[in-house]
Amino acid sequence: MSLIEVRWHGRGGQGVVTASDLLAKAAILEGKYAWHAPMFGPERSGAPVVAFTRVSDEVIEIHSGVYNPDVIVVIDPTQVIEVDWYLEGVKDGGTVVVNAKDLPDKLIKEVQKKHLKLFYVDAYTIALDTFNRAFYNTPMLGALVKATGLVSLESVLKVIEIRFSGNIADKNKIAIRRAYKEVKKYE
Amino acid sequence: MSKYPLKMPETAFEGKATWKKIPLAGIITEPTGPRYKTGNWRALRPVIDQQKCIKCLLCWVYCPEPSIIRKEDDSVEIDYDFCKGCGICADVCPVKAIEMVREG
Repeated sequence: MSLIEVRWHGRGGQGVVTASDLLAKAAILEGKYAWHAPMFGPERSGAPVVAFTRVSDEVIEIHSGVYNPDVIVVIDPTQVIEVDWYLEGVKDGGTVVVNAKDLPDKLIKEVQKKHLKLFYVDAYTIALDTFNRAFYNTPMLGALVKATGLVSLESVLKVIEIRFSGNIADKNKIAIRRAYKEVKKYE
Repeated sequence: MSKYPLKMPETAFEGKATWKKIPLAGIITEPTGPRYKTGNWRALRPVIDQQKCIKCLLCWVYCPEPSIIRKEDDSVEIDYDFCKGCGICADVCPVKAIEMVREG
């Protein structure tokens, strides 16, 4: 596998940076090279936040932000309508994973134009069912794993165990498994 | 009367206005914050049960936004255009008249 670049979109407080970090750590567990960084500046609660992850079989020598991502993950359900904002610079044939119940028409049009693979999952319901708070990050990580196969579900669950403990780890694992199962591909 | 515009043009907020249309020296001539509807950040929506409300106005005091609108008779209403769903009002309410429900 050559270099795969992921860009995460969400809001401060939803765990965008944590999701990116967990993905990078899961890749490292599998013996791959990984790199991760948030976009600095707007990290207050509620502001739009962007984070970047790179995963590769070879040493990663590029350290800038991701401008032409292979994979885009939209963690925040209220940002799904802002198609131009998060699809900027996406590679042709890339993958988009969104947190949505219904897909906006504009997104479907753009996806067909750029030959993207579109996956969607209702992480809002999953997060509120499991945490009773708006933590969409780990459900979306589960959806990303299913959509791209970048890392295996087992290594993600192992990273969750290392990062969190007790009740929180259990809840995150439930959320990840449920999103992994519920994510759907748009055809 | 100044030859420079004294009102912020609508297009300034879409990034389309040039310096010629914006008031001189970056003066903000009117409150512009309310133009950004921040209510869509919300994950949980507060709903007031007017039957239970005792008009103590604690929610009105505590709301950080402030999105609690106080009316003439001290009853309250929520401004969903700006409420970010933090849940402080539901927490401070002594009679639990405010409930946080899911959006949509």
